[in-house]
Amino acid sequence: MCGSAYKNRPQPNYCSCVVPVWVNERPVREILTCQSPRTTRTHPRTARRRPPWSFSVARTPTDSIMAQRRSKNKSYRQSYRSCLGAASRLSHTPGWTARRLNTSRRTKSHNITEKVNPEDLALLVKTEWQLSYVTPLYQFRHTQLRSYSRQLSAFITAEKQQGLAVEVEGAQTSFRVSFSAVQGLGETDDDAETVLLQIHSKPVFAGKDEAQKLVWSGWLTCINGNPEYLHLLPKDFTCLPLFGSRGAENLTSLVKSWFQQTFDCCFGPLEINQTCLQWLAALWTNCHIESSIQHLKMIWTLPVEPPLQITYTVNSQDVWELWNSVRNPSLESREEEEAARSIDIEEVTRFMQGLKSHFYRHFRLDLSAGRLSQVSSALGSAKFSGRIKMSNSRYVLTTLTLLTECALLKMPI
Amino acid sequence: MSLLKPFSKLPGLNTANILLVESEEQFQQSLADALVEETSVTVNVRLAKSLPLPMENDESRPRIDLVVFIINLTSELSFQSAEASLKYLDPGYFLGKVCFMVTNARNASSPAERLDAVRKLASSLHCPLLFAEDQTPDGVASATERLLTILKVAAGLVPIATALYVSNLTRCTLPLDIDLPSFD
Repeated sequence: MCGSAYKNRPQPNYCSCVVPVWVNERPVREILTCQSPRTTRTHPRTARRRPPWSFSVARTPTDSIMAQRRSKNKSYRQSYRSCLGAASRLSHTPGWTARRLNTSRRTKSHNITEKVNPEDLALLVKTEWQLSYVTPLYQFRHTQLRSYSRQLSAFITAEKQQGLAVEVEGAQTSFRVSFSAVQGLGETDDDAETVLLQIHSKPVFAGKDEAQKLVWSGWLTCINGNPEYLHLLPKDFTCLPLFGSRGAENLTSLVKSWFQQTFDCCFGPLEINQTCLQWLAALWTNCHIESSIQHLKMIWTLPVEPPLQITYTVNSQDVWELWNSVRNPSLESREEEEAARSIDIEEVTRFMQGLKSHFYRHFRLDLSAGRLSQVSSALGSAKFSGRIKMSNSRYVLTTLTLLTECALLKMPI
Repeated sequence: MSLLKPFSKLPGLNTANILLVESEEQFQQSLADALVEETSVTVNVRLAKSLPLPMENDESRPRIDLVVFIINLTSELSFQSAEASLKYLDPGYFLGKVCFMVTNARNASSPAERLDAVRKLASSLHCPLLFAEDQTPDGVASATERLLTILKVAAGLVPIATALYVSNLTRCTLPLDIDLPSFD
């Protein structure tokens, strides 16, 4: 039982029994107690470090002990709370950003096709985007989009030509960047307007007359951002916390570095965490009556050796019935409120619990031991690594609201 | 009822017994390795996946001074199993002889709600909550040091300090904004 790893352990000379290290509380195995070698001298390590609450043996009057303890209490508690203010993902200075996602969400589907330019909308849906969060941009003006386009294309061309000794003939691989503002894609007046970026370029071995093709696209948006936070920002800052990109990775990093240089902001990867994926699963299921989701597919990863990946696909009708059965009974009875009711986090948790327990009943595998890494349906797909695809334009706003919240939570300010 | 009782057996001389409860059974191995290196005190480490402990070992088991629940924040099952094991402990343990240790708190795949739930659990039981990093040997060493400090007090080996007294200082407290409503 004790393998060769313990050969080097110094054997105590008073005892001849071999030392396996620990005791497992299992009845079938032999119980061998472990003993650390007993020495009379204090170990140098422990002698140097004394626990913070070790007291000297001399007696002190009782009042001062009480006073001492009270102050020790407070100082300990204060340091605990002050370390919560440290810059970590889990803690934000209270009052600036909230600590968690919204616990209830409105589920209205928005028909935004009449408000938004259909070309822009067509660009947004049906493609898979890689998400990042962005800190607020300094002096970003929606009126200067054309000059930003010129600056960005000059920047990209300059970066691409770095290292080339000879100027390549003409503007073969020159990039044309276009910034455009998408009107109508916001709900409140506090949100800054969404900005769409596109980069067109001729492919490397194209003929002379071939038109430039779209090689990279991206967008910056803020949908239903926290109004308190938005009002707290100083006047020159524009908050567009969600950034989506599609295209070559080197172009993405060039765009990000240009933004960082010009607007003094920071980019960072945005993961779609467990709660967010569960919300998306519930929201998409909720939309089943209006537009069929065809199936709900979830991919779970279990941390076993080798890692196990489980694809769990549920028929749309069954998942709709399950969703209906876990809904809270509605308080309003009006017909129009039916479509716009809010969903609570408890309903989402019950829904996921129902799916997991069904799986357990059939396969004896508890999915809570693993984590959800992808959710997809006919309305879109979302992966833990931060890739999102929205396939239906009616639910773009709800999805983007959720993702904006995630981005605002993850932002380090 | 197979409750684990804190004072039903006699203590050993200069001995401290610790029970590590973890449903994944990974971190407890490396932690146990490091814990037995302690030389000033004889440390006996017992490992379990969950409570209740098997009845067959009841007579040979020494008096457990500290019960540590190791919760991996990336897995929901870990938290649920730790919660379920709590009912098999005699209430006398919650006077400073139980400790919660949490791993993977900074991992991106562990949701913040789970950490909040663990915090609420630890503070409602007046137990300390320690954060540990289990992948590197440095992390294991620092987790061991902290556990040993609490263990020595819980085993009664530190003069004047008792487990109940120390738990008053080390218990987990909830930050004021733990229930801060979000973006409504």
